[in-house]
Amino acid sequence: MQKLLLSIDRLSTWVGQAFSWVIVLLTLHISWEVFSRYVLNNPRAWAFDVMIMMYGTLFMMAGAYTLSKNGHVRGDVLYSFFKPRTQATLDLILYFLFFIPGVIALTFAGWEYAADSLRINEHSNITADGPPVYPFKMIIPLAGAFLLAQGIVEIVRCVICIRQGEWPSREQDVEEVDVEKLKVMVHAEDINAIAEPRK
Amino acid sequence: MTIRKELWFGFSLMAVIILVTVIFMPWSTMTSGHLGLLMLSLVVVAIMLGFPTAFTLMGMGVFFAWLSYRGVNPDVAVKHTLDLMVQRTYAVMSNDVLIAIPLFVFMGYLVERAALIEKLFKSLHLAMARVPGSLAVATIVTCAIFATATGIVGAVVTLMGLLAYPAMLKAGYNAKVGAGAITAGGCLGILIPPSVLLIVYGATAGVSVVQLYAGAFFPGLMLAALYVGYIIVLALIKPELMPPLPEAERKVVLPPLAAALAARGRNALTGLMGGFGTGRSGSAVLGQLLISLAPLVVVVSLLGTVYYSLTSPVVVDDTAGLVQAGGSFAAEENERKPEAGGLAEPKEESTGLAEPKEESTGLAEPKAESSGLTEPKGAGGGSTEPKANASPPASAAAPGTASVAAKSAAAASAKAADKPAAAVVAGPRVDAPLWFWWVAGGFVLALALLYWLWTWERLEIFKMLLGSFFPLAVLILAVLGSIVFGLSTPTDAAAGGAFGGCLLAAAYRYMALRKAPSPIGATVRELGGIIKESSFLTAKTSAMVCWLFVGSSIFSAAFALLGGQELVEKWVLSLGLTPIQFMILAQFIIFILGWPLEWTEIIVIFMPIFIPLLPKFGIDPLFFGLLVALNLQTAFLSPPVAMAAFYLKGVSPPHVTLNAIFAGMMPFMGIQVVALILLYVFPEIGLWLPKVLYGR
Repeated sequence: MQKLLLSIDRLSTWVGQAFSWVIVLLTLHISWEVFSRYVLNNPRAWAFDVMIMMYGTLFMMAGAYTLSKNGHVRGDVLYSFFKPRTQATLDLILYFLFFIPGVIALTFAGWEYAADSLRINEHSNITADGPPVYPFKMIIPLAGAFLLAQGIVEIVRCVICIRQGEWPSREQDVEEVDVEKLKVMVHAEDINAIAEPRK
Repeated sequence: MTIRKELWFGFSLMAVIILVTVIFMPWSTMTSGHLGLLMLSLVVVAIMLGFPTAFTLMGMGVFFAWLSYRGVNPDVAVKHTLDLMVQRTYAVMSNDVLIAIPLFVFMGYLVERAALIEKLFKSLHLAMARVPGSLAVATIVTCAIFATATGIVGAVVTLMGLLAYPAMLKAGYNAKVGAGAITAGGCLGILIPPSVLLIVYGATAGVSVVQLYAGAFFPGLMLAALYVGYIIVLALIKPELMPPLPEAERKVVLPPLAAALAARGRNALTGLMGGFGTGRSGSAVLGQLLISLAPLVVVVSLLGTVYYSLTSPVVVDDTAGLVQAGGSFAAEENERKPEAGGLAEPKEESTGLAEPKEESTGLAEPKAESSGLTEPKGAGGGSTEPKANASPPASAAAPGTASVAAKSAAAASAKAADKPAAAVVAGPRVDAPLWFWWVAGGFVLALALLYWLWTWERLEIFKMLLGSFFPLAVLILAVLGSIVFGLSTPTDAAAGGAFGGCLLAAAYRYMALRKAPSPIGATVRELGGIIKESSFLTAKTSAMVCWLFVGSSIFSAAFALLGGQELVEKWVLSLGLTPIQFMILAQFIIFILGWPLEWTEIIVIFMPIFIPLLPKFGIDPLFFGLLVALNLQTAFLSPPVAMAAFYLKGVSPPHVTLNAIFAGMMPFMGIQVVALILLYVFPEIGLWLPKVLYGR
């Protein structure tokens, strides 16, 4: 069981990290397009469509990854002061109340939406002869499915936490504010060495 | 069980909301609009429970949308709900405003990892050594610049907490003042463009991000200036809070060459000029001399470019038609800004950047063409769509513009059609206007003062600034400038910024590794690591913001479906408020919401409720957005959820308590309120630049 959970966790992370490289592609794509448009005087009609698709794919596919790293924004006013067991109980209830219905609905609706698009072989209408849209729409059910799987892992985490009284550990990942790394970056000295000024 | 103090606050807030809802809800005569309001108050309570907000909104939205559809026709309720949901999601996925968010976030992470903050702080702190409260002032300036480039509050506060806070404490600064300066400064990135908050607001409210950026620029600078002013005044009144630095801390160590030459005279410029042939290496002296002359070169080239374009001969080419079309377009006070106004002629861009004032005349006086159109300006006419600019000839631009413009543009395009676009009829050069000579005189005076005070120490400080402050400033100004002057869309500029951030990171890594065995290989390896980390973080942050957007757009659709919006509107209008009262009420509500909620939640949930009310009171959504952005600064500094305080606490010495940090933040919160009032009383602070640039 535990192993299965971790492997889903790892899968979400892997998928999210793989898709996060899209931001590099997106940067290069737009930079090149700007260069090509203004300097080479050679704008490409499909550039805008591709831009939008890259952006949409990036954030949708990173949803499960972000969930697995507890990165979705929470209202912190009470939550951070609760005991882990209270936190887990609340989370467990709300996963069933909000998350599961919402994400299942999204996945299901997205599947029909994309299937419709595929059926009519839909192409983008932003420019004439635009690229096909159905693969992009397919991202909705795909991202929803990954999110659902990760949500189930999170639910099990809550159950473990309610049993053990503390949150099971998550796998390490790069942090936005990684104090140890930032310390190295600015060659910080030991803060405890700074004495309290005499009153 | 005793409830902790912090919990009391949240619980009482929740109780108040539920109580108000229960008391005021007309349970016996409930309409679907009331259901909408119930949903709104429930969602605030639910968010405070701490579940990821995106899914709280999504779950609630789906449930209430279904409820609403079921009230109409139970048979198709599920299908309609699903349709609504997926269409809302797809709209966020293909939103061409939000696309700038991951790019700006990526740029921020790259710049942060370029590791130039240490140099930046040191050089600014030396440069400002004589200012009262110099360390705190340098902290705020560093924060403002770095936060603007990165936009990551947590990282900026943590970094400055590691870098500036120990320095301030060691110098005998009051712990509260230092904490306030760091936390307040770190939050400036939220307001000063390019900020993500303004993109989110723009996408929610349907306001042009370009105009928001132009509008938020001066309020952001004003807030930073107020902080700095407060610090300086405080340091003058109570020097014991911020003792001046000891001589040893301020001293700039001169390199051997400068030290040797400094013995011959204090002024570096004359010293260097006389430095040739004194037995020193000629090339080293020349290098220093060139660096010293850099400000002169920049000013001269700037003035020269402006002079050249001001006095350029009377030109009758296709630009005239474009400017004409753009000008009359602006005069028409059309919502769409003069798209065709700029950019067809890229060589004018530099002028547009150098002298924004000139554009106002170009745009405001469409008749200028008859008098020869001496200034074919209009670069940065506020174009939001570069595609429109790609159409080169005037004849192509004319049909795209309004019919009013078409007539006058036709005349110009007829002229242009006579000759190829490249052909230019040159006339005699015209005289530069008087203001140019005033500006030039001012620059010359400033240069003279600069070189008169150009000591060897200042040369060293200048060199340090050159390596830290200027690259960052150039990056920010290039990104921001190309957006507000309409040279590119925010998306293009953000991508360029990310690319620039990458180059910046590469350059600084290379400088740090210069002495390593194989510097290039090591740099590439480190850069790869930086890009990898930055893109992972970007994916997480964008997913966080954009999924929140997905949730909130489903939620607000449900709210609108239930008719909650109409009820709110009816209620607010029935209060008979004046616009001022409404504005104060709205800002007060946002201020209060800033305590328990974060800015993302406030904007995506509550702005859709406020925005439709604005036209009823004749309030400009752009102006409202600027006030909201300024107001939400307080959300970061208000206890008990002030993120900034917790980040600082995490890296400060144990004797600095969280309460001391909160106490230090209070005066800065006061300044934010003052800034809010100032902006409200003098809307020109924010609206002047958009007015000049886009003629709104």
